[in-house]
Amino acid sequence: MIARLGSIALGIALLPLLMPDGSFDLYPFVGARLPLHAGFVDLATTILIFGLFALGFNILFGHTGELSFGHAMFFALGAYATALYSKGFDATVGPVHLQFLGSGNAFFALLAALAAVAVWAWLLGRLIVPRSSGIYYSMITLAFAQVIYFIAFRWSDLTGGEDGLQAIARPAVPGLPAGWLDDSNHFYIAAALVTFVAVVLNYCIVFSNFGSVLRAIRENKQRARFLGYDVNKYRVNAFVLSALFPALAGWMWTYFQQAINPDAGSIDYSGRVVMMSLLGGINTFAGPMLGAFVYWDLQNRFARFDRYWPEIIGLVFVFFVLVAPRGIAGLIAALRRPSRRAVEQAEA
Amino acid sequence: MHQVADQIVNGITLGMLYILVALGLNIILGLMGVINFSHGAFFMLGAYVAYTLAPHVGFFPSLIFAAAIIGAFGMLFEVLLVRPLYRRPPEYTLLLTYGTALIFEQVVRRIWGDDAVRYPLPDWLAGTFTFAGYAFPVYRDVFLVAVTIAILAIVWLIINKTNVGVIIRAGTRDAEMVRILGINMPLMFMLVFGLGSFLAGLAGALAAPVYAIIPNLADQWIVLTFVIVIVGGIGSFWGAIVGGLTIGILSSLMELVYPPAVELTGFIIMGLVLLVRPRGLFGVEGLFE
Repeated sequence: MIARLGSIALGIALLPLLMPDGSFDLYPFVGARLPLHAGFVDLATTILIFGLFALGFNILFGHTGELSFGHAMFFALGAYATALYSKGFDATVGPVHLQFLGSGNAFFALLAALAAVAVWAWLLGRLIVPRSSGIYYSMITLAFAQVIYFIAFRWSDLTGGEDGLQAIARPAVPGLPAGWLDDSNHFYIAAALVTFVAVVLNYCIVFSNFGSVLRAIRENKQRARFLGYDVNKYRVNAFVLSALFPALAGWMWTYFQQAINPDAGSIDYSGRVVMMSLLGGINTFAGPMLGAFVYWDLQNRFARFDRYWPEIIGLVFVFFVLVAPRGIAGLIAALRRPSRRAVEQAEA
Repeated sequence: MHQVADQIVNGITLGMLYILVALGLNIILGLMGVINFSHGAFFMLGAYVAYTLAPHVGFFPSLIFAAAIIGAFGMLFEVLLVRPLYRRPPEYTLLLTYGTALIFEQVVRRIWGDDAVRYPLPDWLAGTFTFAGYAFPVYRDVFLVAVTIAILAIVWLIINKTNVGVIIRAGTRDAEMVRILGINMPLMFMLVFGLGSFLAGLAGALAAPVYAIIPNLADQWIVLTFVIVIVGGIGSFWGAIVGGLTIGILSSLMELVYPPAVELTGFIIMGLVLLVRPRGLFGVEGLFE
């Protein structure tokens, strides 16, 4: 546990130094990069936020064996709850007039984001979990994610429609001067702390008895049921827990971008997090975070000279699905493990 | 009243396209147990191929060629990319085809640009047709609907009256058993994937003159297709038809009731159907449980 979490902490600490400057270097002499360009630090922050998003997603995909193709809905819901709490809103639904003046308190914004996502995820989980599994589950989660997307897109009075909400102030940190978080480096430090706490929580969930039951469900639902576990209850709980991490990521994303628009809930975002998890490796704890790094690294390299860059990410992803479905972490594990031939030779 | 009738007719036109796309996805899903996320991209490619061919071969042949090209492409796609994944859980086919859908969208942007392209109708289809005091556009409300019904009849005959259809229906129930009986299942899978892609390509070609052809067409359609399949029931021929028409007509009517909720109509229906009949209106018990 110490080794795993320690290496993640080290990774988070060194991440801004590892940012590529667009050339195909293999990250040599990281120390020579100091002081860091703000753009690199912002890219590192993006990776952290999406890494956390993917780590939550992987509670379902990697550990429970269920592919949700709509996790961006939780990210968007968390992000919008934060934005609406910070900026306030003023909308009328039939006879009801909704108004809130907005508040700069980031902690209450987080509570609002988590509460909104928990309620939606629980209701949705109760609806779809007993009724679907396998790819049917993927189709239904994708479809329901579009509900959140279209509400964000169409309910202009509340959400600002296609343009979304802008000019969201970053919160003040108690004990530090006002506007402290406006600096890229400072924001990275704060995001790194939040992310690390969330990683520890995720670790506690995944490697608890609860997490073991999830893996039992992944391996064989029927056997888990025969052992006396209420499989659907565990699946609903896993669904809600895995939704809370994207909500937290969405909370950070809103303050980081200081704006939010419906794209955050699009198929594109849901797909991204699926790709990140698979690229990094769904069968390892930190794989999805590694995948977030790889994804943004690829995008950062190719987007500057190829406007059709998603094509390259698509090709890389297709390659991994076909050839290395265990992702980069799986490839590393395969390299470290002695090959079957070597074992046979040693035994002979 | 006039408006309501108008919207119902619009909904039927839209429903016809939904049916073609959803039926293609549904046949593949029913027999092979996999989802082709690139199905929406095949629909979009059908539209672009028809658009490209029309000036050279004429309007009507372009429809047939586009559908045939997409069908052949689907077979190649199945053999090269989908086949290696049959040993793995079906989620991996969904992931693979998601990746290819990303690639297809960018390829379309590369070749045809980011903006919508225009696709003029030939004169004999561009007019209107007056019936009972209403003027119907000939292409949308007569030609498109007639072609779809003819194609649906052919697909129905293939599934219900031919040996291939018997194998498809048996395979939908138990592909393993059919394989043991000595049927060449890889060949059947390829043909069915081709048929499904043919339907998507044809729908795209038919939709091209009516709806804007843009590179993100694929995303919009794949989700609607999923919704229709969930509402109608996986693997069901009549499910795709009833689901497609219901969602086409009701979302058109929503235009009159509450325009901002037009896109949500299908999802509301899907939520209700899931509550009452989790397998969809025509779903078969035991499939995907």
